[in-house]
Amino acid sequence: MASTSKATVPGGPSLGRSRPRYGELIIKVILVLAAAVSVATTIGIVAALLEPTIEFFGTVSVVEFFTSIEWGPLFSPPSFGVLPIVVATLLVTIIAMIVAIPLGLAAAIYLSEYAKPRVRKIIKPVLEVLAGIPTVVFGFFALTFVTPLLRDFLPFTLDYRNALSGGLVVGVMIIPTVASLAEDAMSAVPNSLREGAYALASSRMIVSLRVVLPAALSGIIAAIILAFSRAIGETMIVVIATGGRSIFTMNPAREMDTMASFIARAGSGDVPVGSIEYKTIFAVGALLFIMTFLMNYVSAKVVRRYREAYE
Amino acid sequence: MSEIGTSIPNVTVRGPEVPRNIQALDPVFNVSGLSVFYGDYAAVRGVDMVIGNREITAMIGPSGCGKSTVLRCFNRMNDLIPGARAAGKITYHGEDLYGDHVDPIEVRRRIGMVFQKPNPFPKSIYDNIAYGPRVNGRKKGMDGIVEEALTKAALWDEVKDKLKQNALSLSGGQQQRLCIARAIAVRPEVILMDEPCSALDPIATTKIEDLMQELSRDYTIVIVTHNMQQAARVSDRTAFFTAEVDDSGVRHGRLVEYDETSRIFTNPSDKRTEDYITGRFG
Repeated sequence: MASTSKATVPGGPSLGRSRPRYGELIIKVILVLAAAVSVATTIGIVAALLEPTIEFFGTVSVVEFFTSIEWGPLFSPPSFGVLPIVVATLLVTIIAMIVAIPLGLAAAIYLSEYAKPRVRKIIKPVLEVLAGIPTVVFGFFALTFVTPLLRDFLPFTLDYRNALSGGLVVGVMIIPTVASLAEDAMSAVPNSLREGAYALASSRMIVSLRVVLPAALSGIIAAIILAFSRAIGETMIVVIATGGRSIFTMNPAREMDTMASFIARAGSGDVPVGSIEYKTIFAVGALLFIMTFLMNYVSAKVVRRYREAYE
Repeated sequence: MSEIGTSIPNVTVRGPEVPRNIQALDPVFNVSGLSVFYGDYAAVRGVDMVIGNREITAMIGPSGCGKSTVLRCFNRMNDLIPGARAAGKITYHGEDLYGDHVDPIEVRRRIGMVFQKPNPFPKSIYDNIAYGPRVNGRKKGMDGIVEEALTKAALWDEVKDKLKQNALSLSGGQQQRLCIARAIAVRPEVILMDEPCSALDPIATTKIEDLMQELSRDYTIVIVTHNMQQAARVSDRTAFFTAEVDDSGVRHGRLVEYDETSRIFTNPSDKRTEDYITGRFG
């Protein structure tokens, strides 16, 4: 074979490329561009937020912004204490997480550790469809179904629009995100760990909670962070169900304005470009961005500390 | 490990330092007419064998002969595979292992298992050992349990100064001894080993084999191995399995011969056993 092969003749053509591969180059450029779009968008958003925000703090003092408890930038005279809408935002988010984390994780544990493969194949896509319901639908569900229901059953009076109803429904909205991503993380835990645990006389619940959950922790935290980011920035549901009157209160039965709902309302009104009201929108947006960023950063640190890496 | 080749290996059946009367079996497991199904497929058919108390029983045979499948019936690990089911009968000290009243978790507390690939939890060395006792309700005296288990698994001296370190930082051989220690910590009566050395180098393998000899004073050990020399070195009895094709062309596992290890390796009664151990198989 070797004696007849022309390719192996010593001193034959060089090993250099015989003709250029343009296709490879084009593909590479397209892929780099695709990756660059999201990076560029993020930088663009930060840049767009930065300038009006700096201008905003040229007019309104940082101290007033962060310490005053009067929020009414669209009123006359305007007031710029951001605390009421920050508190409202956190309140709605916390209510949502209290709903979504236990239910989402329970669903993930069921799907990953308990459900038969056939059942999982049916339930998981259904769950993911739930994630595709438009938030405006959830908003009206909160306003016209959940709030009246709560008013019937709770011993205290609820405002027509309130943080409780909005928070609960935001929580329901993000359950599929938590469940689906956490289930992915748990399914990725190697079976050898499960077998090891079962062989040590563990029940299914012990295997799930003491072996699978810690091993999947980084993925589970990632799921929770994504859900948190969606909850803190959720706009439509809170605009519809939680309201727009800004009161400084911790009482979830009251109507309140969150950061996202303020931005939506102010942004869709007739606020003149360049006015202080206009710049306020950007300042609130920047703060929301920073809060989400900090949350991401802190949880990444926490995960590095506590996760049980199996590889 | 030194003999490599196709001749009958130098048989070093376990010496008389642990005297025992092999003929008078004190049965721990009694297997009769065992078949294991995956769905409708009978992977192993018609196995009969008796596992003696505080003996080392080796199961050897080519890939796909069902030896691991049979091993996993002894602690009901096959229950975890959807569609798997055992027919026939296995008794453990006379009690039907697959009886309706039997709790598989209780079965696995008495019958521990070590796997082919070391599978320590991604936790500290200490927590790996303490896991079993903890989930089985032990709360006090954990330090003592951990030390005892690691000592029995001949690992204590190597890890006593780094118990808080992640178990995955250990070498493969150490990880496997950790897994043995982890199984011991639950205080089982039987330890099942599914090719425990196949992912290890020869030195680590020797250590595990020495350990098995040591452990067989207190525990009944059943080991599946691909390594015939290993079976010859460590076991009291050997079961030889093979894969057969039935009339309708379906491949399945069969127990060919089960006898004292010395006889299997020097004077097997079945031609197929002889062919396999002399390397004339397939």
